[in-house]
Amino acid sequence: MSSGKIKETLMRGVFFLTAITSIAAVVLICVFLLINGVPAIGEIGFFDFVGGQKWAPTNVPASYGIFPMIIGSIYVTGGAVIIGVPIGLLTAVFLARFCPPALYKIIKPATELLAGIPSIVYGFFGLMVIVPFVRDSFGGDGSSLLAASIVLGIMILPTIIGTAEAAIRAVPESYYEGSLALGATRERSVFRAVLPAAKSGVLAGVVLGIGRAIGETMAVILVAGNQVNIPTSLTQGVRTLTANIVMEMGYATGLHRSALIATGVVLFVFILIITLSMQAIKSRGEKNG
Amino acid sequence: MADKTKASEIKAINGAAFADRMREYKRKPLSLVMLLLVIISAALSVAALVFLIVYILIMGVPNLTPDLFALEYNSDNVSCTPAIINTVIIILLTLVIAVPLGIGAAVYLAEYAKRGSRLVKIIRAMTETLSGIPSIVYGLFGMLCFVTALHWGYSILAGAITLAIMVLPTIIRTTEEAMIAVPDSYREGSFGLGAGRLRTIVRTILPSAVPGILAGIILATGRIVGETAALIYTSGSVTGYAKGLMSSGRSLAIHMYMLANEGLHTNQAWGTAVVLLVLVLAINTLSSFIAKKISGKRIR
Amino acid sequence: MKKSSGILAITTAAFILTSAFAGCGGSSTSGSSASSDRQSGAFDTAKTISVITRESGSGTRDAFVELTGVLEKNGENESDNTYSGAVTVNSTEAVITNVKGNDAAVGYISLGSLNDSVKSVNVDGVEATADNVKSGDYKISRPFNIAYKELKGVAEDFVDFILSSDGQAVVTKEGYVSTSENPAFKSKMPNGKITVSGSSSVSPVMEKLVEAYKAINSGAEIELLTTDSSSGMAAAMEGTCDIGMASRELKDEEADALKSTVIAKDGIAVIVNNSNTVSDLTLEQIKSIFTGETTEWSGVIE
Repeated sequence: MSSGKIKETLMRGVFFLTAITSIAAVVLICVFLLINGVPAIGEIGFFDFVGGQKWAPTNVPASYGIFPMIIGSIYVTGGAVIIGVPIGLLTAVFLARFCPPALYKIIKPATELLAGIPSIVYGFFGLMVIVPFVRDSFGGDGSSLLAASIVLGIMILPTIIGTAEAAIRAVPESYYEGSLALGATRERSVFRAVLPAAKSGVLAGVVLGIGRAIGETMAVILVAGNQVNIPTSLTQGVRTLTANIVMEMGYATGLHRSALIATGVVLFVFILIITLSMQAIKSRGEKNG
Repeated sequence: MADKTKASEIKAINGAAFADRMREYKRKPLSLVMLLLVIISAALSVAALVFLIVYILIMGVPNLTPDLFALEYNSDNVSCTPAIINTVIIILLTLVIAVPLGIGAAVYLAEYAKRGSRLVKIIRAMTETLSGIPSIVYGLFGMLCFVTALHWGYSILAGAITLAIMVLPTIIRTTEEAMIAVPDSYREGSFGLGAGRLRTIVRTILPSAVPGILAGIILATGRIVGETAALIYTSGSVTGYAKGLMSSGRSLAIHMYMLANEGLHTNQAWGTAVVLLVLVLAINTLSSFIAKKISGKRIR
Repeated sequence: MKKSSGILAITTAAFILTSAFAGCGGSSTSGSSASSDRQSGAFDTAKTISVITRESGSGTRDAFVELTGVLEKNGENESDNTYSGAVTVNSTEAVITNVKGNDAAVGYISLGSLNDSVKSVNVDGVEATADNVKSGDYKISRPFNIAYKELKGVAEDFVDFILSSDGQAVVTKEGYVSTSENPAFKSKMPNGKITVSGSSSVSPVMEKLVEAYKAINSGAEIELLTTDSSSGMAAAMEGTCDIGMASRELKDEEADALKSTVIAKDGIAVIVNNSNTVSDLTLEQIKSIFTGETTEWSGVIE
């Protein structure tokens, strides 16, 4: 009996330890990034780093300003949201409410497949198809803010479709039926009764999509042009934070390398803000629902 | 006979409903617009997917030569067989690390911790943070921690541990959901028969949650297969079979990235893309098969 | 009620699907016909030049900006004046793809990676060929270096092989320029394992060299890690690899710690789209294009 109790306590301890692995992992990631990145920020100067307009690491003396990359990441993510969210959301409405079961059996696995395609494949597809398309239709180099937004817009579709569809399905059928009974059309019922009730779930999907877009690397690098410029039009190139890290990490030594890790720290902070806001949305949704 | 009348009746009703609907749309054109928008969006999503897949197949399938699957890699055949084997090794190693940790954490969250307690909230917040971190940041971390600080060098093990942290949230979440879905009556029954908590978990709850756990594992596998940014700085890019846990070996996705990069083997890169696509498709099919098995009883 | 919307949806989806397929086929044919139109000589010189460059730190870019004068040295200060609107990509393939698909583009790649999907331009009237690089007539070229602390066993034997006429034959076959006139190779057949790591520009030819060497001495095991010049040199200095590869000259601190040997020379080809009518550029013109002073092709084509 007592040996059983020891076993119980022991296993409880083991389970507890496994449960706090994720805390340990986050702490570890923070520590390693900060130790390697923050001294560089200190050396460059916080405002010169985050607010600096010029990134010229190979120059003597070098400049390390990542402001254009921060703006680049925000623009590209914004573009992806403008393209991906309406299409994704309406597709989710279609799948959850208007889709015949036979078609659903094809489309649903198809969107899951879209989620599973490695980003490097998206990148080459974008380079071969979307970049020439943008160049021929809108002028410029083709590798541009617009091309990156389109590729990322497609990439975040499955995330948004998946979460939004689940949220819409979770709304009780009575909302829809009640609205129909009051004489509203099917479409009105869906958009006025069901969708508002699924708001927090849908919003969570959008935030998840934003997180994916801002963190995407291998696809963006091939289609964005990667100029260290703040773009003034859709057909100009941009460089994102992620692209900055991947493009130069291999070559970098000394302060340049630390500056790239610091770029990772800035990206990490962005992601933290996004995750926190998502948790806020979720807990508000739980309170309301 | 009865069926026939039923079918014709239904047809008639449908026809009437359709005409009614059209009349209604005339009164409320906005509804029609919304319907059209919904359908156009769905069609656009599907079109994007079809175009993408057809394009990859057109570019890749003609390049699926026997050479691409030769047993030994050399720079002429750029065989992807070693990369496939390395990918399998990385998947297995990652799962060996992540699955016990993930299941353990899920057991703690679902069965031991007080729901809504502060610790649970923190753990939840941390797992969600983990799932939001982009793979490039994982790559940087893996490089700084395992490759540099621990002096492992580029190695399969460094890659696998980095990926294990990356897929941990997926496994925790799916396992926990599966365990919560196990009805409380199972627990009460088991307790009532005098079983301890541990025995109840191991003998009653975990077996019922197996399909959910499997679904999580497959989801994680899919993510590992497609991963590039996190592996390139941790497991490196050595061609050929990995000689051991501490030696470097490229996975299939990295193989494709490297092939495409130097511009000498673009065709083979597209061939590799097809292989990747087939792998992802197989994994998805497997997961939807399992998902069907789970939900067969409950939903639909 | 549900059924009619189902039919509607299915027909719409089917329509979109077929149009997607048709669009796919259509776009590929129209693409090829457009490019053949361009090849028939309708190149528009008023087009804005699309400058394609590599990421800073790349060995190819380092060598290119230094040799063309895009890199400006002013006493202690160095400034890479590459046009800030230049598309920056991080692989040779991406440069080729960009230039292949854009008739107003110009880029630069390793001579060994040049293929006929793009056109290389004569520099100061000299064609980019291995012979011209060897004779020194073609101005934009760089060395492929290997560097090491100390050579013994397999590493020593392998380097002997690279510098022998057999090894240099491999170099020449891959489109690079041989640099050594040593006689044929005779292996001492040592056993053991070494690691070679560094530049992704050198590693394709190094891979061929490793294969050819293993065919002679099967007792040797050589692990090839593709990273980049700086990491390769750093690894050689730390001792984590036996031989480092660099596609540029060694920096001072690297040269102090390591011994180096040039195993091959590589030209850097300036490439344009096949439909571009330009065939000859001076170093001055290249500099002015890549610094963004010349922005239209009419500025360099009479």
